[in-house]
Amino acid sequence: MTPPSEHSVLERSETTTGETPPTPPAPSEVPALSLRDVRITNRVTGEEIVHGVAFELSRGRVVGIVGESGSGKTLTCRAALGILPPRIELTGGSIHLAGTDIATLTPREWTAVRGSTVSAVFQDPASYLNPSIKVGPQIAEVVRVKKRVGRREARDRAVELLQAVHLRRPEVVYGQYAYELSGGMLQRVLIAAAIAADPQVLIADEATTALDVTVQAEILDLLASLQERAGLALVVVSHDLAVVAQLCDEVLVMREGQVVEQGPTSEVLYHPRHDYTRLLVAEHEQYGLDKVLARVDAS
Amino acid sequence: MVRRVWAIPSARISLAVLAAVLLLAALGPMLAPQEPLATSANTLASPSWQHWLGTDALGRDVFSRLLDGSRISVVGSLEVVLIALVVGAIPGILSVYFGRAFEWTSLRLVDTLVALPFLLFAVAVTALLGNGITQAMVVTGVLVSPLFYRVSRAATLAVARSHYVEAAIIAGASVGWIVRRHVWVKVLPPIAVAFAQTLGVGFVIVSSLTFLGIGVQPPQPTWGGLLATSLAYLSYQPWAPLAPALLIMATVWASNLLADAIRDVSGEAGQSLVDERRAAANRIDSSAIGRPGGHA
Amino acid sequence: MTAVELAGVADVSADRTVLEVTGLDVHYGLRRRRRQALDGVSLRVAAGETVGVIGETGSGKSTLARAVLGLVPASAGRIVVGGEDVTRYGRRQWRALRRRGVVQYVFQDPLRSLDPDLTAGESVVEPLLLQGISRSEALVRARTYASRLHLEHDLLDRLPAQLSGGQRQRVAVARALVTDPSLVILDEPASALDSANRVQVLEIVKDLCAAGVALVFISHDLGSVAGVADRVAVLYQGQLVEAGSVKDVITDPQHPYTRLLVRSAPTLRTGSADRTERAALRALLNA
Repeated sequence: MTPPSEHSVLERSETTTGETPPTPPAPSEVPALSLRDVRITNRVTGEEIVHGVAFELSRGRVVGIVGESGSGKTLTCRAALGILPPRIELTGGSIHLAGTDIATLTPREWTAVRGSTVSAVFQDPASYLNPSIKVGPQIAEVVRVKKRVGRREARDRAVELLQAVHLRRPEVVYGQYAYELSGGMLQRVLIAAAIAADPQVLIADEATTALDVTVQAEILDLLASLQERAGLALVVVSHDLAVVAQLCDEVLVMREGQVVEQGPTSEVLYHPRHDYTRLLVAEHEQYGLDKVLARVDAS
Repeated sequence: MVRRVWAIPSARISLAVLAAVLLLAALGPMLAPQEPLATSANTLASPSWQHWLGTDALGRDVFSRLLDGSRISVVGSLEVVLIALVVGAIPGILSVYFGRAFEWTSLRLVDTLVALPFLLFAVAVTALLGNGITQAMVVTGVLVSPLFYRVSRAATLAVARSHYVEAAIIAGASVGWIVRRHVWVKVLPPIAVAFAQTLGVGFVIVSSLTFLGIGVQPPQPTWGGLLATSLAYLSYQPWAPLAPALLIMATVWASNLLADAIRDVSGEAGQSLVDERRAAANRIDSSAIGRPGGHA
Repeated sequence: MTAVELAGVADVSADRTVLEVTGLDVHYGLRRRRRQALDGVSLRVAAGETVGVIGETGSGKSTLARAVLGLVPASAGRIVVGGEDVTRYGRRQWRALRRRGVVQYVFQDPLRSLDPDLTAGESVVEPLLLQGISRSEALVRARTYASRLHLEHDLLDRLPAQLSGGQRQRVAVARALVTDPSLVILDEPASALDSANRVQVLEIVKDLCAAGVALVFISHDLGSVAGVADRVAVLYQGQLVEAGSVKDVITDPQHPYTRLLVRSAPTLRTGSADRTERAALRALLNA
């Protein structure tokens, strides 16, 4: 397995805005997440659902996957987390997490890997929290199990994590139940839980889809700051090309299980080659903010 | 919805059983081979061609008595169900639309009814008002009505808060329009389930009362009564309780089976259930014949 | 902040005003749990105009729509729909007004806004049947609007569950248009759909504007209305904090919340320069 990271995500992200941020860690030789020609098949019907996804993600970099529901983007993420639905399997290619082929992982090894090497946040944060337990202890539980520390230390670290995700009164939030928190706050709580064990890769699958646009921006800003300060590798999945454009170095556009376009963000946005990508771009240019901004630029 | 229910085999079986019982009740007395009340010297006889289920202690043909008694059971349970339906379902639907006072009052009344044990009340009423099973059935009906109230209220509430009802209101719909066009269809399935369930309950109540000898004067035959008397002569005719017992069981079982079947096919989950079963049936057919694709 | 009158409507003559809201207050709840959802909101919409009402969850934008539709009572202020003062209308008066089909509404989620037990056609003709129009004539009209929205006639005989998301939303729009309303309020009509369908719905919205129908577009995202709206009104914590033409609001936002909204809306222009500005605006608003 990979050696533990030198500094926790927590420590590295604690620098305040006033100081110069530390230089991001140099990209390691081994990419944090590497997909090569990944193919996923439904064993029941025998049909291939995802046809060859490939990308390499190093520490401190961000990859975006754009696609509608049914495009295969979520299944790809689930494959990288080892949580594919029953009878849906990885049938081609390989996925490497920090150098290790996930096909070689036993269930016990998977449990160790999840949270500490790769982690994830999804849409609808409320459904990922136990509604009858306060949110703070749920984060503390992750810390206790993953870091093998005592209750008190776990509680302290949980509060620190809540602060690291820019929740304004972390002590208070620690003692609140999920129903007392807004969508944006809940998502921050889940991000806190996701980074509790200092993973190298964080997958955000439609993590901002159900949120108001201002809250969405907050969450994306948070992810960006975690990436910059802590060298977290991010996979940002969305149906909105603009969300992905904000944050990502590289973009994959998926449609019906196929990667129809892939490349650096500026290439994909300004020189799209596939019609579907052009449709996505056109949508913003004709109906979105870009239309007004373009007109302003022109005048 | 009727078509969907018919598609389930268990529903067909239960409907067949209940239809048979209904026929027995309607035509039973006419079909009876012997006079149900006619005594004879041939007491406690075993089954024979003349007496299909033998005779009882007074020489009366058991089979004829069974047929004759079916009417009371069927009529009795229908009384319970219909009273419960009217007393429960209508206020249930109206409680959503008739204002806070009505809602509060009806809810508290229903809470009270639920607390009362219906069998005891049925017995008490019969004791007070004299013999005659109808009074007991009416009382039971009222006491069982909370089920219909709750079920129809819940269904109506769900509809009343939905977006499509709001869309109808925005288009100018009145309460009556909404109930007729949107609520009614959605309330029927749960009411149908409650109906079938209560039918079973009604049969049990009637059988229990007649077993205890309450509400009917001898020598009027009833299923429960036949069960009671046959138990008295168990040593002579050990098989005798079987006939009335099985009849009661079959009817109650059929009612509950029907209730389950209706519940299974209700709602959107119900439609997909029926579709799946049809698709599976088609696949089996096609594989048997060897033709790929199957029937449409 | 005090209420802000809409700017840029000097060219709208009074008789072309389809909706006029003045100083609207709306409260929810009783006694101790009484909350104010809207505080002194004023808005004017003329025929053929598309106005975007933007605000986050809890800003009061849905309450504004519900007040205009008569679903919640106003505590103070005035609402005038098509020249009629509806502020103190009772149930019967509202029903009469609604049956004239003057104002209509398109819900965000078409799956929940169509009765699952009625065919699409039945849902579309309902407003017409409520007006007393015969069923045959209503069906003819329904088919006309369905074609305009690119819905084949046989789709009208299907149940909502048998239609795709885009088709369902078009059915909901058809239902809203079938009474020839002067004002249609749309609540995030495209957010539940995928790209291709979103574009289609937005195209329909543009056609509606061209046809002279006044549109009020409710959204939490400035970006979703930028391409279709003429003017924008921004609601924040129940108050109208900014209003103006789309161009003005986006290029020169005055209120910190509007600035945050503009900086938060996802665009294809990549940039982390906005991040510090957003953080500063949030700090300002939360102070």
